[in-house]
Amino acid sequence: MAKQDEQRFTMKMQRKLAVLFVIILIAFFALSVRLFAINRDNGEKYKKQVLSQQEYDSVTLVAKRGDILDVNGSKLAVSQKVYNVIVDSKTLNGNDGEYLEPTLTALYSTGISFLYTQNELRDFIRQNPSSQYRVVAKKQSFEVTSPLMDILNNPADHPNIKGIWLEDSYQRQYPYNSLACDVVGFVQGDNEGIYGLEEFYNDSLNGTNGREYGYLNDDENLERTIKPAQDGYTIVTSLDVNIQSIVEKHILAFNEEYRDAHREGPGSTNTGVIVMRPDTGEVLAMASYPVFDLNNPRDITGLKIEMPEITLSPAGEISGEEGTEDTESEEAAAEENAGGENENTEEEMQARMVLTPQAGDDIASYGDAYEEAYEKAKMEALNALWKNFCINSTYEPGSTMKPFTMACGLEEGILTGNENYTCEGVLSIGGHEIHCSNRLGHGDLTFSGALEKSCNVAFMKIGASIGKKTFMKYNRIFNFGLKTNIDLAGESRTDTLVFDESIMNPTDLAIGSFGQGFNTTMIQMATGFCSLINGGYYYQPHLATKILNAEGATVRAIEPRVLKQTISTETSEKIRQLCVNVVTEGTGKSARPAGYMIGGKTGTAEKLPRGTENYLVSFIGFAPADDPQIVIYTVIDEPNAKEQASAKFATVLTRDILTEVLPYLNVFQTEELTEEEAAELAEKQLLFSNGSTQEEEPEEEITEEETEETTEGEETEEAEEEKTERKIEFDPETGYAIDPTTGDLLDPETGRPIDSTVSDLPPDNSSPITFVDE
Amino acid sequence: MFDYTLLFIVLFLLCFGLVMLYSVSSYEANLKFQDSAYYLKKQLFATVFGIVVMLITTFINYHIWDKVTIIAYFVSLGLILLVLTPLGYEANGARRWLDVGISLQPAEVAKVGMIIFFASVVSRFGKRIQSLKSTLFTIALAVPVALSVLFITENLSSAIIIFCIVLMMIFVATPNYKEYFLIGAGIIAAAAVIVLLVSKGILPETLSYRFSRINAWLNPEKYASTTGFQTLQSLYAIGSGDIFGKGLGQSMQKLGFIPEAQNDMIFSIICEELGLFGATAIIVMFLLMIWRFLVIANNAADQFGALLVVGVMAHISIQVILNIAVVTNTIPNTGITLPFISYGGSSIVFLLSEIGLVLSVSRGIRLENK
Repeated sequence: MAKQDEQRFTMKMQRKLAVLFVIILIAFFALSVRLFAINRDNGEKYKKQVLSQQEYDSVTLVAKRGDILDVNGSKLAVSQKVYNVIVDSKTLNGNDGEYLEPTLTALYSTGISFLYTQNELRDFIRQNPSSQYRVVAKKQSFEVTSPLMDILNNPADHPNIKGIWLEDSYQRQYPYNSLACDVVGFVQGDNEGIYGLEEFYNDSLNGTNGREYGYLNDDENLERTIKPAQDGYTIVTSLDVNIQSIVEKHILAFNEEYRDAHREGPGSTNTGVIVMRPDTGEVLAMASYPVFDLNNPRDITGLKIEMPEITLSPAGEISGEEGTEDTESEEAAAEENAGGENENTEEEMQARMVLTPQAGDDIASYGDAYEEAYEKAKMEALNALWKNFCINSTYEPGSTMKPFTMACGLEEGILTGNENYTCEGVLSIGGHEIHCSNRLGHGDLTFSGALEKSCNVAFMKIGASIGKKTFMKYNRIFNFGLKTNIDLAGESRTDTLVFDESIMNPTDLAIGSFGQGFNTTMIQMATGFCSLINGGYYYQPHLATKILNAEGATVRAIEPRVLKQTISTETSEKIRQLCVNVVTEGTGKSARPAGYMIGGKTGTAEKLPRGTENYLVSFIGFAPADDPQIVIYTVIDEPNAKEQASAKFATVLTRDILTEVLPYLNVFQTEELTEEEAAELAEKQLLFSNGSTQEEEPEEEITEEETEETTEGEETEEAEEEKTERKIEFDPETGYAIDPTTGDLLDPETGRPIDSTVSDLPPDNSSPITFVDE
Repeated sequence: MFDYTLLFIVLFLLCFGLVMLYSVSSYEANLKFQDSAYYLKKQLFATVFGIVVMLITTFINYHIWDKVTIIAYFVSLGLILLVLTPLGYEANGARRWLDVGISLQPAEVAKVGMIIFFASVVSRFGKRIQSLKSTLFTIALAVPVALSVLFITENLSSAIIIFCIVLMMIFVATPNYKEYFLIGAGIIAAAAVIVLLVSKGILPETLSYRFSRINAWLNPEKYASTTGFQTLQSLYAIGSGDIFGKGLGQSMQKLGFIPEAQNDMIFSIICEELGLFGATAIIVMFLLMIWRFLVIANNAADQFGALLVVGVMAHISIQVILNIAVVTNTIPNTGITLPFISYGGSSIVFLLSEIGLVLSVSRGIRLENK
């Protein structure tokens, strides 16, 4: 053993140990301060960070959007399961980048169409090593994705393929493409329905997304819990794909037939047809023109876009200007040019030159401002294309209002049906001379004759006898000015477009009685007309009849709903007979399909501004006459013809549609066929039986020819009839009187030949009002 | 004069450590082994074994170790070299373990070995240690072991710990200050230069993976997905704990965000679950333990016993300081466990054997006073 002293832990050592202890103490204290500082400076930020990281662990399970079916179960809109390909750069970059190339090669050897090229994706993965979620391919079908699925399902066979996974998604598909496009609507973005049924029933169609997440239970065991997605409801509608097809086929045929006939473009600015059941308010078909492909609603091929102007500044810079109305821009351009020629120097003219680029030009080359203006114009054109003419457009209904006016008078006992009217072609009301369609007068007319000949003078007298109070009461009864609340998105409000009783003058009443001076929508007219002829029951118009859950069980059955009684059964019976008379004796003859008796009323409304010779022609009718099963309303806005004012455009289209629809609905023929009709029908029925199974182009061509022949035949027949009946000749298309000496059409207001008077008419509305109607 | 205070502190930390270990590891244990108590069971076994070892060493007269000091040195060195033989195996990307029936980290053995060896050497030198020559000679004796830990087992942190233990023991045994502060200043300056070079990109990261950790240390958010991930997640855990924490077992960061949180990063989960309050309480417990070491060393019967205690004190305090410094991103990330609390069988057994040595020394105090 060594000496005790040497073995002892000396005082010096104790002191140094104390120093060491103090150093350790300081270190501990410093670390405590550091802990405190982390909490104080970044506590809130880190708390949020921790929470946001947690969400990463849960996965959204996408719900399937419900289908839209027609009355027979045909699928108008379906959701197809598709897959998004997701890349996890973090995993892909692992293992010193050994996974990257094999994975990329495997990805690009499948048939999947990626959003990036192979090189772009490689760069992305290298530059964003922390990215764990990048969609590299969207909405790929099962067929295309299945090779990749095989790889991912067998990771053992493909050890170097990492960081790829598939995400379920759904793609909205419309098997009938453009059929009933306005009614069905489409979806954008994340299953947000826009327009039509897709928008109206968006909440029912969209299910609730599910979620898969992991959590620790009470025993600290990790549990993966799946809250399954709740698939959306399926909407069953009353729409009948077959009837819809027939309607759209004939609308298309009409618009092709009259394409470029008078002005450039299709046969009409717009053509709308509604077919509905008067006894339930169910819509069987609703179509308008032009149509668009629901699977590709943003396709602008063939769409006329108002190109914005370009103003060239002296420096050669191009600035975009928003396009205005076509005529205005042309005027402006003309003005600019005229000014340049007369006063301005050449430089100034160059400086203020206005160009209108042509469609197909490289829009981007004109600069950002122009591109923006162009995009705006494009969206306007698309919105116009997407909207549903049948519920969205408001217009003056014209003479199709006349049965409503009569029903009002009959229901109130003001009219008996035995009245006689004398038409001298003009009536002075409230200081305005208002002319009949027949400027020279219809002469003596019976009550029924007033409707058959669509005499404006007689109806002005009827209006005066009813009085504005009763007239407006019935306007409200028929819901004019109110939405019908049909189950489609985008129905227009008309509450500001109807007469205001407090300021309504006798002239308003006079023109209102034959359907001018106030606006309606097609669905308002059709729904009101249903109640006129079904015994007076005003049904809420609707498309959906049933809402089914994902398992096919009915969640809600939508029964026909009577909202009110508009008129009595007796009055309804009388109106029906009067409407049949219109078809047998009057202006609606050309609407009657061979073998059937129908009732209805034509309409030819001059559009605002008056004097521009733009007309909206229509026919509203029901079939068959004795037991109405359908109501059909056909509206043609600005038919492409020199003389637009002929309801025949609408009646012939109606006839073509009914000729096919009535046999499809198993309505028996009641009328005897003439030889001509029998021959025509024999051909058509053959056509029809083929057409119901498959609609091939050659057949449609035959139909078009058929339509042409029919139209011509009817026109001559009609013209002859009118000649024998009246002393004065009328133009069969417009209803204008023909000057016996010159053969010109005479303007009913001025008595001068039409062509010379057009420009003389003052543009404002305070001038004497002219209405032309058949 | 058996030191019950120290024993109580150690038992408290062991129990607390087991509770925290279960809280932290159960999620990952369940995922990996379908047994949430997998890590707890292994640690419990090691702890019980460690307590037995501690009791044995407590009741062995510590002077025995003075006699086997040369053996201790070569056993330490030999075990490290054994890692190179087929007995050694690799885990977590580093070859640090020996498979001798149970898994054993030679670096842990070396720490105890060095404490015994240098306590013996310094006490034998007596006053001669005060000469610069013998001081440098003594320090040089530590170099082979430290270097073999560094290069054979590629364990920088253990090498630093071993070197620091030796340095602190010699610091206490010698009367001068200036030299040590110069050494300290020199080390800090060298570290600063390296950090500067790496951060300016003069020393490429590819030179060593440790250099890339320096960048991650300086700017963890920039390297959030790679080298900075663990540190950043640890900071999130600490920062989200607030004053009283989310409650025991309520950590969110342990759910896969801090990988193997039961090892080096357990302190951050303590901060998250028990807050600043809980973290400070643990730091105070360690401080109390170190204070007990101070008291025992000052009253030790002889210099050898006192230096043994100083060595243990140095070992535990360095590990605690470095571990907390790493989880708070005060220094670059390097794998250092928190004594008595982090998961690791070798570590706990050898730490408890060191406590046994200290308790043995404290028993000797009573004999002296008689």
